[in-house]
Amino acid sequence: MRTSIGVIAVLVTGGIGGCASFGAKPWERDLMAEQAMQLDPYPLETAIDNHIYFSKEASSGGRSFAGGGCGCN
Amino acid sequence: MQLKSRTAQPGLGLRRALATAAAGLLAHGEARAQEAPSTIIDSAVLVYHEVGRVQAIEPEVNVTQKIDEDRTLTAGFTADALTGPTPFGAVPSTLAQTYVRPYKIVPLGTPVSVTTPSGGATIVIIPPPTGAKTQVLGASTTVPPNTYPLDHGFHDERVAGNLGWEQALTPTFNIDGGVAYSEEHDYRSESIHVGLSQDFNAHNTTLNAGLNYESDLSFPIGGTPTPLTLMSANWKGPDASLHEVDAVLGVTQVMTRRWLTSLSYSFSDLHGYQSDPYKLISVVDALSGQPTAQLYENRPDSRRKQSLFLENKIHLTSDIVTVGLRGYSDDWGIKSFTADLRYRLQMGADYYVEPHVRYYQQGAADFFHYYLVSGEAMPQYASADTRLAAFHAQTYGAKFGVRLDDNTELNVRVEYYDQHGNGSPTGAIGQLRQQDLFPDLKAYTVLLGFTIGF
Repeated sequence: MRTSIGVIAVLVTGGIGGCASFGAKPWERDLMAEQAMQLDPYPLETAIDNHIYFSKEASSGGRSFAGGGCGCN
Repeated sequence: MQLKSRTAQPGLGLRRALATAAAGLLAHGEARAQEAPSTIIDSAVLVYHEVGRVQAIEPEVNVTQKIDEDRTLTAGFTADALTGPTPFGAVPSTLAQTYVRPYKIVPLGTPVSVTTPSGGATIVIIPPPTGAKTQVLGASTTVPPNTYPLDHGFHDERVAGNLGWEQALTPTFNIDGGVAYSEEHDYRSESIHVGLSQDFNAHNTTLNAGLNYESDLSFPIGGTPTPLTLMSANWKGPDASLHEVDAVLGVTQVMTRRWLTSLSYSFSDLHGYQSDPYKLISVVDALSGQPTAQLYENRPDSRRKQSLFLENKIHLTSDIVTVGLRGYSDDWGIKSFTADLRYRLQMGADYYVEPHVRYYQQGAADFFHYYLVSGEAMPQYASADTRLAAFHAQTYGAKFGVRLDDNTELNVRVEYYDQHGNGSPTGAIGQLRQQDLFPDLKAYTVLLGFTIGF
């Protein structure tokens, strides 16, 4: 168990360190600040879609918890 | 169902930093730069239309209030009304079939008129046992020959609300949490969630983690049926509960000035009543394929779900491409794959059109059966709900949006959903060979959205 935690810790910290080679400089962040470039720019729309698909398909999950909480499936 | 997207908001710190950076850039470079609004009201109305089946209308509003630079409060409210035919789960037949389900309990002697409670079902009086002080009314539906059995008595209304809180504890570390409540006339759900996010690499990398606990109570009309017993109008068992724990872990990375990528793993563990109390599974004759009995379905009490979701957003010259891919599996034997593509075509500063396509396919649950065969061993679990069958589905749509000013947007989206399964399974028996055991599901949605900030 300790070994597993150690391996995960190394992977996570190594991964984060590896991510340092990517990215945008502070003066390059104009596009990322646009609303449409946010991960979930229209959360109500996302929630409604999750509701529809949860009630018609067997899958759920993704970035959020949305999808549960109804007797529709 | 909570209609709040209980998103474990990855990159809150990232977004705040980016917005601040952009605001700084704009303040130096453009005259139109201004403070972000402290109050945002986000609203939407969904009109949902399944061809020949369920219709729904669903208004929704969400208010986000910035308390100060570090704290934000959100509150949301949703209501919806659904009506229209929904599948019983039973197979069609060359003969007419009659289905009777519980409808209402009334004091003995209450005058009852034989009417149609909703769209074609007829109220029938179930003879009460000797000495009873109440009596049960049933809703009877007669399905014509060679017709997929649909329950025309389906009607539901739902209200849901949620409250959320987000707080930046340091410039790179955020915490958020919230509660949600949802109530239908036969189902209630309560949940609580908490999330954390930490930025690294000068806000280019965000790790996030979230935990959600949900407690549901099912109180079906007519009570909770005993699994795999005969359909009847008799009042049945007590309420049934379901408990769910969900966890999500994610990483979001700014790859370049134009490219954002996000990877999330989610896990859910459910325990409790997960059958659909209204769904049936037919037992058919081994030679003729004619239904000889209709049983209530039975799903396992536990379910573990996992999914991996990858999303990439790329900002082209002015347009934005979003590609989402999701793999899913659970211990009911269901595996699925989803691909989602959006292309936001920016037309000048204030207008955009966003075509959208989505492809989805899933394999069947281990206990999915189109029907059971008389004389064969009864399985422990069985469901004929086609939502647990193998199928694939496509969504096609487009959204049109207009920015009325810096903080106000109006948009409308129209989509078409088409679900195909195998309606003629190999080995179908007798008359079932000439029936469609999985009719296509086609649905149209119109979504009107309006957001204003001040």
